[in-house]
Amino acid sequence: MSGSAVYALTGITKSYPGVVALDGVDFSVFENEIVGLVGENGAGKSTLMKILIGLVQPDGGTMILRGSPVSLKDPADAIRYGVGMVFQDGTLVPNLTIGENLFLCHENGFEKLGFLSSRAMRKAAQALLRQVKVPDDVDTPVAEVAPAARQMVEIARLLWLSRLYQQRNPILILDEPTTVLTEGERDTLFAILNEIKREASIVLISHRLQEIVENSDRIVILKDGRNVTEVAAASARIDQIEQEMVGHAFSADRYREEEQREPGSREVLRVDGLAKRGFFEPLSFVVREGEIVSLVGLVGSGKEEVCRCLNGLSRADEGSVSLGGRKLTPGSPGDAVASGEGHIPIDRRSEGLALGMSVAENVNLLVLGRLRAGGLVSPSRERKNAEQWIRECRIKTPSAATLCANLSGGNQQKTVIAKWLSSRVKLLILDHPTRGVDVGAKDDIYKLIRRLAQEGIAMVVMCDTLEEDLGLANRMLVMKDGKLVDEVACPPRRKPGPRDIIGLIV
Amino acid sequence: MELNERSRTRARRMRTPAILYAVGLLVALVAFFSLGNRNFLSLYNLNTIASYAAILLVVGLGQMCTILVGGIDLSVGGLMSFVAVVFIVSLKVVGYWAYPLCILIGAAFGYLNGNLLTRIRIPSFIATLGTGGIMTSLALLVSPLPVDAPAARYRMLQVVNGAFLGVGNLLVLTVLIFAVFFVILRFTVIGKSIFYVGSNITMSWMSGIDIVKTRNFAFILSGVGASLAAIFLACGQFGGDPTLGRVYVLSSIAAVVVGGTALTGGAGGPVNTLIGAFVLSVMENGMNVIGVNAYFQQSILGAVIVFSVFLTFDRSKISTVK
Repeated sequence: MSGSAVYALTGITKSYPGVVALDGVDFSVFENEIVGLVGENGAGKSTLMKILIGLVQPDGGTMILRGSPVSLKDPADAIRYGVGMVFQDGTLVPNLTIGENLFLCHENGFEKLGFLSSRAMRKAAQALLRQVKVPDDVDTPVAEVAPAARQMVEIARLLWLSRLYQQRNPILILDEPTTVLTEGERDTLFAILNEIKREASIVLISHRLQEIVENSDRIVILKDGRNVTEVAAASARIDQIEQEMVGHAFSADRYREEEQREPGSREVLRVDGLAKRGFFEPLSFVVREGEIVSLVGLVGSGKEEVCRCLNGLSRADEGSVSLGGRKLTPGSPGDAVASGEGHIPIDRRSEGLALGMSVAENVNLLVLGRLRAGGLVSPSRERKNAEQWIRECRIKTPSAATLCANLSGGNQQKTVIAKWLSSRVKLLILDHPTRGVDVGAKDDIYKLIRRLAQEGIAMVVMCDTLEEDLGLANRMLVMKDGKLVDEVACPPRRKPGPRDIIGLIV
Repeated sequence: MELNERSRTRARRMRTPAILYAVGLLVALVAFFSLGNRNFLSLYNLNTIASYAAILLVVGLGQMCTILVGGIDLSVGGLMSFVAVVFIVSLKVVGYWAYPLCILIGAAFGYLNGNLLTRIRIPSFIATLGTGGIMTSLALLVSPLPVDAPAARYRMLQVVNGAFLGVGNLLVLTVLIFAVFFVILRFTVIGKSIFYVGSNITMSWMSGIDIVKTRNFAFILSGVGASLAAIFLACGQFGGDPTLGRVYVLSSIAAVVVGGTALTGGAGGPVNTLIGAFVLSVMENGMNVIGVNAYFQQSILGAVIVFSVFLTFDRSKISTVK
């Protein structure tokens, strides 16, 4: 971290309809360093990254890159300045070989007499792969290469490109690079990054604070689109960073445990010997009236697929799901919905809402049949139903006719919940209900969840954090490697700690 | 937080609805042409405009349903050609039964298109391109040359050609058809489902909407609309022309899109298509009335379509326009 910044952003502002993503953010990258960028979902990390590589243009603020002010038009422009990004979902062309991907669209340098010299390309590619320790042959199609190696190929490509544009000390941005990696691959990645650091700067975004603290030199914390603070990694403590990310010391009763109730005796959901090959082994459990059951486990534990089988989005190989004593038709979301099962999806924009339609239309979707008078859907009943649920779920919207696309994340989520509530569900599956929702709206959602429980609705939840799972649940089902391994009771005021659970998960 | 509030207020400012642009365009066109030729607004000419708009509207309403649900129907032209000749030929054999027969053909053909999309999973763009081609050639196989309706059966064409209290049956029937489409799309569960499916098909499926039935229904409506339009045309021409549908593939899509229905699905409606049909009809007729060179008319029409889509189509919501 010596000398002046290679890339310095000051006072960056960016707003989207309904939300200010960045509000006067400062961010600098120095030579030969790894800088960690952390924040909650919706804190503005990804917007800031997009601005760094020119994918998004800021509304205000200055960007000084290598000593002179710039405004980047697009990522190709950023690459010419030696700034590039390795995306979460990868940008390589799967059916081309590693070698072809490395030089894609920049093959001119290998031209001899107007033809591409494949020998020169191969040689250059091999040298690059050696640097990032990729064992695969340059002629292997990228589709056949492990995720870890793909990432390396992308990194190699960025390094090569900045050399091509004669930029010293390129800046590489890595967005959640370890989510798809195994433990061993992760260690290799960081070993290589620490080596590359000698000739480059790296911006590292990750939800895993542990690896951020261990591998970066400096940590920048964002919250609600603003800089909170910056700490040297050497002296950083994870719990302290966490507190900065959330913005306040956790209030004593963040998840409204005081409102947690004993579940009723009536059984709502019964899962009997449900199994799906390659995803999870036979498992059985029961969820009662007003009970909140949280399903926890690592990515790959099979919990997502269990939920998909519960609401008919996916078909299990054996076993059955019964709702209120009636067996559901496997693989039929229509039957699940008709039997009184609701689903708050993780990706509400693409799976939960018709964004181009109004709040009222979204809220009424499931109950149109009930809003009929004399065989036809009655506009006045539609309006009444929508207004009632907008009030009850405290959806902040200028009017019932406002398009859902114009609402903030939290209010969109409340709209999805309102839609299911108005249809009088018996069971609700909540897939990361507070993802990308700001702090205030989070509390509204917790409040709603508690109220639903009091009304006797059974719930299966999967949360963003273990704390949230613990805080909300009456009972916790722990999954590991496709098996239901444990069941933990979570009575209010006597909740187990996250550490107790992590031992069971890993 | 305050800043947050302010930006929300900005988001609250509603976009001018597409339909207002379309109405504005229509008014401007009418004003322009009536200045160009005083007879443009004569009762006789208005009737001509309305008759052409009626045909466009009936086929356009069906087309609109497939576009609203997120697809498109390129087979309306082939179907119209086929229905036109079959209608006249069957008129000789089964008399009045030719009407329900042809409507049934349209519905069945639409159902076939729907199933190609929903069950065999062929994109409607390609599926209907293929089935439309088949219908075009079937029409020519039934009769390579236009067939005239036998004079003895002219009486039967009065269903469309007749008039009631001075108003042509064609217009009355069109108003009825429009009302039926309006009621289906606005006040029935399956009609409203068309919008949900077109707006977000994954969400619709996950919310338990029968996405197969809904999309099939939209294509059935399109088949019925096209066959009704073909019947109207055949009646007006006292005969069936096996190539009559050709122009209606593009003009039906144009009527829908000019009215402001988004090609991406989920947004728009029958009133939009009504305005769109009139815009096209006024253009077509107006250019003749003020004496625009016939060879030049297509380019003006093309330019107006592009311009009106520029006005009405909400491109801000989609990142890449294909």
